[in-house]
Amino acid sequence: MTLTIGSTYIEDKDYWEIKPVGEVDIANAAKLRAALHDSYEKTPANVRLDASDLRYIDSTGLGVIIGAYGRMQENGHAIHIESPKVNVRKLLQVTSLDKIFCPQ
Amino acid sequence: MTDTLRLLVPGKPEYVRTVRLAVSSLAGNAGFDIEAVEDIMVAVSEACSNIVCHGIKGSDSAYEVSCEMLADRIIISVVDQAGGYDTGKYKEPQAGALREGGLGIFIIKALMDEVNILSEVGRGTQIQMTKYVSG
Repeated sequence: MTLTIGSTYIEDKDYWEIKPVGEVDIANAAKLRAALHDSYEKTPANVRLDASDLRYIDSTGLGVIIGAYGRMQENGHAIHIESPKVNVRKLLQVTSLDKIFCPQ
Repeated sequence: MTDTLRLLVPGKPEYVRTVRLAVSSLAGNAGFDIEAVEDIMVAVSEACSNIVCHGIKGSDSAYEVSCEMLADRIIISVVDQAGGYDTGKYKEPQAGALREGGLGIFIIKALMDEVNILSEVGRGTQIQMTKYVSG
């Protein structure tokens, strides 16, 4: 399964744009964990997770996002999931995680 | 007539996607709409991940996924022989109390019409889930 993750620090707006492309599940969730962790270690800032090309994510992947958010929250930072596909949005709604990660 | 597809799956993370795609293809052919196919795919994937993550010990272990096709529903069972656990100790995630784990079973129950989890300590666990063809 292919998963590529782009991480870009947007300096003038002080946030990370992290863009997973592909599918996240138990086989590769560690890759997402590393991307979130490494970016935040480099420069602690809010994260915009661009989910427009995220075709699938399972509870392992959601757990990774929850874990990263828990650590960031201690410093007052947040993760926003942007443009999720219909299936990913449904999973976020089912788990009520949309209230935290997709605020209107 | 009932057709049953059985898969014997190595207990490794990289095979979960294979099961997901196989079951998705089966459900699509059985007449489920796109959203239901997606629900079934996600639920099966979560059941497999649950076993790979919490059940199976050792790389040579395997578990079984069986899909029973009936006229109005699909019944999927994911079964391991990995020693089981006390289902009474499972706590559903509470809103507002974020946890990294424990979401899988919650998601399965939310997406499927019927879910039964049978686990016998010392033996194994069976997650049986049913989805009805709508309309």
